[in-house]
Amino acid sequence: MTKKLMKGNEAIGEAAIAAGAINYFAYPITPQSEVAEYLCWRLPEVSGVFVQGESEVAVGNMIFGAAASGKRVFTTSSSPGISLMQESISYMAGAHLPVVILNIMRGGPGLGGILPAQSDYFQATKGGGHGDYRLIVLAPASVQEAVDLTILAFDLADKYRNPVMIIGDGMIGQMMESVEFPEKYRDENNPDDFDWALTGADNRPARITKSLYLDPKKLEDNSIKLAEKYKKIVEAESRHELYHVSNDNQLLIISYGTMARICQTVIDELADEGISVGLMRPITLYPFPGAELYAEATKKNIKRVLTVEMSMGQMVEDVERYVVGKKPVDFFGRTGGIVPTPNEVKDKIRELLKPSPKAKKTKSSRKKQIKG
Amino acid sequence: MPTTLIDTEIMPMADKINLQYPQFSNKIVAIVGGFGSGKTEVAVNLAQFLKKQGGQGAEKVTIVDFDLVNPYFRSREIAQPMEALGIRVIVPTGGQFYADLPILMPEVRGVIGQPDGLVILDIGGDSQGTKALGSVANLFVPGSYDMLMVINSRRPQTDSVEGCLKTMKRIEDTSGLKFTGLISNSHMIDETDVTVVAEGYLLTSEVARRSGLTCSFVSALKPILDEMDAGQFDCPVLPLSREMLKPWERSSNRGSQKKEEG
Repeated sequence: MTKKLMKGNEAIGEAAIAAGAINYFAYPITPQSEVAEYLCWRLPEVSGVFVQGESEVAVGNMIFGAAASGKRVFTTSSSPGISLMQESISYMAGAHLPVVILNIMRGGPGLGGILPAQSDYFQATKGGGHGDYRLIVLAPASVQEAVDLTILAFDLADKYRNPVMIIGDGMIGQMMESVEFPEKYRDENNPDDFDWALTGADNRPARITKSLYLDPKKLEDNSIKLAEKYKKIVEAESRHELYHVSNDNQLLIISYGTMARICQTVIDELADEGISVGLMRPITLYPFPGAELYAEATKKNIKRVLTVEMSMGQMVEDVERYVVGKKPVDFFGRTGGIVPTPNEVKDKIRELLKPSPKAKKTKSSRKKQIKG
Repeated sequence: MPTTLIDTEIMPMADKINLQYPQFSNKIVAIVGGFGSGKTEVAVNLAQFLKKQGGQGAEKVTIVDFDLVNPYFRSREIAQPMEALGIRVIVPTGGQFYADLPILMPEVRGVIGQPDGLVILDIGGDSQGTKALGSVANLFVPGSYDMLMVINSRRPQTDSVEGCLKTMKRIEDTSGLKFTGLISNSHMIDETDVTVVAEGYLLTSEVARRSGLTCSFVSALKPILDEMDAGQFDCPVLPLSREMLKPWERSSNRGSQKKEEG
């Protein structure tokens, strides 16, 4: 297939079709609207369905119902819209339903703004909805990776019967890059392949898809079943990428999405100044590549660990959790739609690595930042 | 006037290979195209090129950011460097600068109705974006403006002659204005090569034949044009320097300018 120049939002829409997901429900919101705009002309070409719900609450319930049928189901939104879907996301997790949800994040809280942000990390990885549940969370850093991870998301959702969320900052949705799609597009799921899909109970016992268990023992059993599933996911599905990691590194950056690409520019330019910095980019935010982070961060040459996010500091809490105090963990971030410039990040790193009076040497700058 | 890539690289190149530059006898040039056609890159390059060239009618250049639909990568992002060149830049002010609302700046009507010098309109967002253009369509006097369709053969909706004609029809229907010419601007940003530019020119030529319009100019990144024989183009050529950069491309030693800090 010829390489095409596509906006992240359009490419993700095409990737869903490539993954055999032609049942799409959504409500428009900037900076994600081009997914709907693209699919509203593209889906009819492949006999797909696009239903624009009257709100994201409606969309959440539409995808619950559609996913229960065993077909691949897709929705997309941006931060405030994803907040509206939280109830149904919790229901779908509780009911073990495979569904893929895209969040092209904008600045919050509240209505916020329309520029890029990464401040929905907590919402995506730590719940957002109620109950003991987890989403598999994938974070692409380029348009091509957004395509690849969208296709992967549907496979993971089916494999684990669990909702999968792809989160990208607004830049991922809005920027254009060249992309390639698989030669062969996947066919739609055959619901008869699943022993749980609601296909009509003709000549077989009825199946029930639900998250309501009034008997506490049964509810606990369902939560245990979910927890066992998450354990498998943690063991098998963690993904990350290393950049410029070597025994010369003085500092390790942890950053995801397009923020990680800004950090790559930072790393290249600092290398020219003789400052060696490595990057670990989590691709799965849940499961978080914690063991891998521990291994990298505790290497002898690493003096400090710096988390860079387009937020006031969210993923940094996971970084601290896995570095377990072995190295000082620092944070740099901008938010509200402001994207940190390479120069800002470089300044922060120079400041952190500057030989300073002994007392301050190993102390994390993180506490100070939270207070200030 | 500050020195930019246009001074150091593009103007000498244009002189050297004796390119035929784009020139306009009309005072209004509307640059229109779908998402990703590269219309903003073309519009800001054209404004700077014509201003630097300073030919007849280009003593005064105004650029209007008419992109009311796309939230990111709009010409307003590089308003400052353009203003430094003496180009008048009309963009929404205050919080509206960051919005994607159909807000038309009041001065736009005046600028179109009574243009002072050359006025370049950067009209974003496909047919949706051109709705805004429709609201001022009555100010356009037939025969006294250029409305140019930017064609990128590597974009899904303009990768075929039929696709281009369909997109143009949709834009004409929404705006109530007729195209007067075409711009061949095939690109894949950093991955553009000679093949992409040549293939785009062939497509644009065929669209020109079918629509009865002419190719107003071919635009492409300067390093690509360096590798090509400009004689193969039967129309003027606009060499481009990349102005609309992604955040990781903006740094002390990359790109021709830095993003204004919010």
